[in-house]
Amino acid sequence: MREPTKTLALSTSMLIAGLLIGTFVLAPTLLPNQGTAQQLFPQDSAWRHQSIRVVGSTTVLPIANACAIRFMELYNATSITVEGGGSGRGYSELIDGLCNIADASRKPKQSELDAARQKGVTLILHEIAIDGIAVIVNPSVTEDLNGPLNLTLEEIGKIFAGVYSKWSEVKEGLPNKEIKVFVREPGSGTRATFEEFCMEPFGFEVKTGAAQVPSNPAMRQSIEQAHYSIGYVGLGFASNNVEVVHVARENGQPFYAPTYENVKEGIYPLSRYLYMVTNGIPKSGSLTDRFIDFVKSPEGQKLVEQCGYIAIYPKE
Amino acid sequence: MHLEKPNFLCLKDKAEIILFTVASASILILFLITVFVFEEGVPAFMNMGLSNFLFGQRWAPYYKSFGAFPLLYGSLMIVFGSLVISVPLGIFTALFLAEYVPRWLGDLLKPIIELLAAIPSIVYGFFGFVFLAPRIMEFFDLSVGKTALTASVILSMMTVPTIVSISSEIISSVPKEYRKASLALGATKWQTLKSVVLPAAKPGIVASILLAFGRAIGETVAVLMVCGCVPEIPSPPWNYFEPVHTLTAAIALEMGEVPWESLHYHALFGLGAILFTITFIVNAVADLIMKKAPKGAVQI
Amino acid sequence: MKAKFVKEKALSFLLAFPAVILLLAFLSIILFIGIKGLPAVNWKMLTTSVQKGGIFESIVGTLYLLAGTLLIATPLGVATAVYLVEYAPKGRVNRIITQALNNLAGVPSIVFGLFGYVFFCRFLGLGISLLSGWLTLTCMVLPIIVRGSQEALRMVPKSFREAAEALGAPKWRVIKDVVLPTATPGLATSTILGVSRVAGETAAILFTCSVFLMKGLPSTPFQPVMVLTYQLYTLLVASPSVSFDRAFAMALVLLGVVVILNIFAYLMRVHYRKKWKW
Repeated sequence: MREPTKTLALSTSMLIAGLLIGTFVLAPTLLPNQGTAQQLFPQDSAWRHQSIRVVGSTTVLPIANACAIRFMELYNATSITVEGGGSGRGYSELIDGLCNIADASRKPKQSELDAARQKGVTLILHEIAIDGIAVIVNPSVTEDLNGPLNLTLEEIGKIFAGVYSKWSEVKEGLPNKEIKVFVREPGSGTRATFEEFCMEPFGFEVKTGAAQVPSNPAMRQSIEQAHYSIGYVGLGFASNNVEVVHVARENGQPFYAPTYENVKEGIYPLSRYLYMVTNGIPKSGSLTDRFIDFVKSPEGQKLVEQCGYIAIYPKE
Repeated sequence: MHLEKPNFLCLKDKAEIILFTVASASILILFLITVFVFEEGVPAFMNMGLSNFLFGQRWAPYYKSFGAFPLLYGSLMIVFGSLVISVPLGIFTALFLAEYVPRWLGDLLKPIIELLAAIPSIVYGFFGFVFLAPRIMEFFDLSVGKTALTASVILSMMTVPTIVSISSEIISSVPKEYRKASLALGATKWQTLKSVVLPAAKPGIVASILLAFGRAIGETVAVLMVCGCVPEIPSPPWNYFEPVHTLTAAIALEMGEVPWESLHYHALFGLGAILFTITFIVNAVADLIMKKAPKGAVQI
Repeated sequence: MKAKFVKEKALSFLLAFPAVILLLAFLSIILFIGIKGLPAVNWKMLTTSVQKGGIFESIVGTLYLLAGTLLIATPLGVATAVYLVEYAPKGRVNRIITQALNNLAGVPSIVFGLFGYVFFCRFLGLGISLLSGWLTLTCMVLPIIVRGSQEALRMVPKSFREAAEALGAPKWRVIKDVVLPTATPGLATSTILGVSRVAGETAAILFTCSVFLMKGLPSTPFQPVMVLTYQLYTLLVASPSVSFDRAFAMALVLLGVVVILNIFAYLMRVHYRKKWKW
């Protein structure tokens, strides 16, 4: 009886050994060829082999992602790890020293400034793009309306706060159906900016019955699918399957659509800067410094626009 | 025969000492989990009072409001819903497999059903989110597809295999004498099953239901993607067509961005502590029931 | 009398329904992933780097995670099982350890994630790394491996042990040279089942070891890793792109890995049970 046992044990252990060897030894070598490195600055090349971690806003994530990929293509011994999680996470990790750059779609909150001061961290905000927040609704809301849905900041606030429970209470021509409100998770910078414009000035709080979604794309998907729904997304995330709200600052002011031009000219009320945040001014020549420079460079800003945002710095 | 009485003071060989140390790692791990989860959760309880945390009706971390009750209610609601589906389905399937199906077919079907349990929860979430939620929305003419009902259905798919595999083993292991005696008295197969076999298998079946409960309430990713994430008790409270939020989904959604050691962070650990306590109790009860099971019962 | 039998027959047909519903449910998931996933999965996607839209590093990263967990958890689990079966089959110690294992088995995976984050990542300072992931997943998978190993060890007939002892071998040699080799197929089965459980795990690695994008593969265990389950999760929840092609491909690969592992374990179990018919 010993023989078959031995062979079975032997073959199993060979299988496992093979798996381990394959995983740890062969796989890295199979990694697709990364191309040749460019010799641009042969003297100060320490940064070329460094690695940094970029964490934070899901709004900035596409920019960080695209820029990191391009940057690593150009300088391929560098390593940039990108992570989402929300502006809150970005600030939190930066303050705790767990990342090099925080992506943020809002300025730091007081509690974050306090925590930073307590830990001896200086938050330096680098503006890398301009973004607008589009308030979006499901097409079922505006079906019977001739023309776009026009709302003031306060009216939007009231909808999200639950002051209106049906669309018909908001304006004429809207369906007599319950309003389904969607908001972002608590750490979202998009949420913070939205509430800064539409809720806080009027003392509103989002109603308890609002559904939470974890990111811009998830918000768009939810509004696309759920009838009579309303939510907010970064400018670049609106799609053809949702209707955008035209926003006015106050009653009596004109209503503006969340278009690229309107945000660029500063007339669309819900606009903001997108930031990459560092602890202190990044050391000149370090990877952090060079990456942020890249994002601000014409090539980086072109990527910013490709992602659907508005470039701050001249492109050409 | 080496059934020595274990004795803390006289571990004989070196080998035994080493093995004992390694084996006690499991106790250590459980201990550490309890300590750390509660240690990080207790500040939240102390800050706002345990009953305010547990029974507070408003979970709105953005506005510093940490009432966990809607989350607790949501978790219990969808688990209850999933049991309503999976218990009858599971028990009858178990009966069918154990009693009415030829051996070869049963041996083929059981692994397939166990495979259902092995499917990663993210795949279930994907399925629920892309396929099931829109279908439920259309079918019941709702305005949203992510509801307590959707979550219950997905959870039942995930937990039914637990009930089926354990129950069918339990049913099979009810001694043949019981059945033979009943049939000898003139009862039909179904009558035998209903009045003799099932009652004998009851402890094991109940334990399997409790285990399914424990798994369902701890499910995170699949639930996060289909429950709707609305931290409010539906009105009326038994309305399964409304979205809900759960303990697990809240932790997964919010944990990534809490500042270290903030109140929100402690509150999330508080939710974890609640979850841990619930599953601990449920598992302990299931264990107790299994211990009292009649001879021949299968160890879970 | 006839009525009773007709009722019987009717009932046995009715009872088939739930089983059929279950099988249909299973089929619908497989078809859902398979139909959309198969066209999307091709050799190119599997071997292209994540940076270029493929999923290569996620697959290898998952293997790294599994392999490391296996390496740590298997010796721990087998040793625990050996202790429980060979040295303390009854009594207080056995009961306490078994109770602890049963409780561990019931802990939700998100709680493991919380624990892993606060203990391994923060308290022990390992940060978000492969190592933290290995340790967290080891804690999760331990009960499964111990249980399976216990069963495997118990199936080794007493006569084997007695024969070895009669020849004068000390206890540890009996275990090392007789019991363990005999039980190896069963041990392997339990390990594979544990690994398949871990392969599909998302919640526990959410904040302990995985990231959205990083360069290549981790070169040390102190770096984070890209894993199939987490990539799929972020893709579905936070991805900038609209198409689900990559998601379906990943889901299919995941499903494939888990199904293959389970089938393999099942075949081993069947083969092994056939052998030990004393």
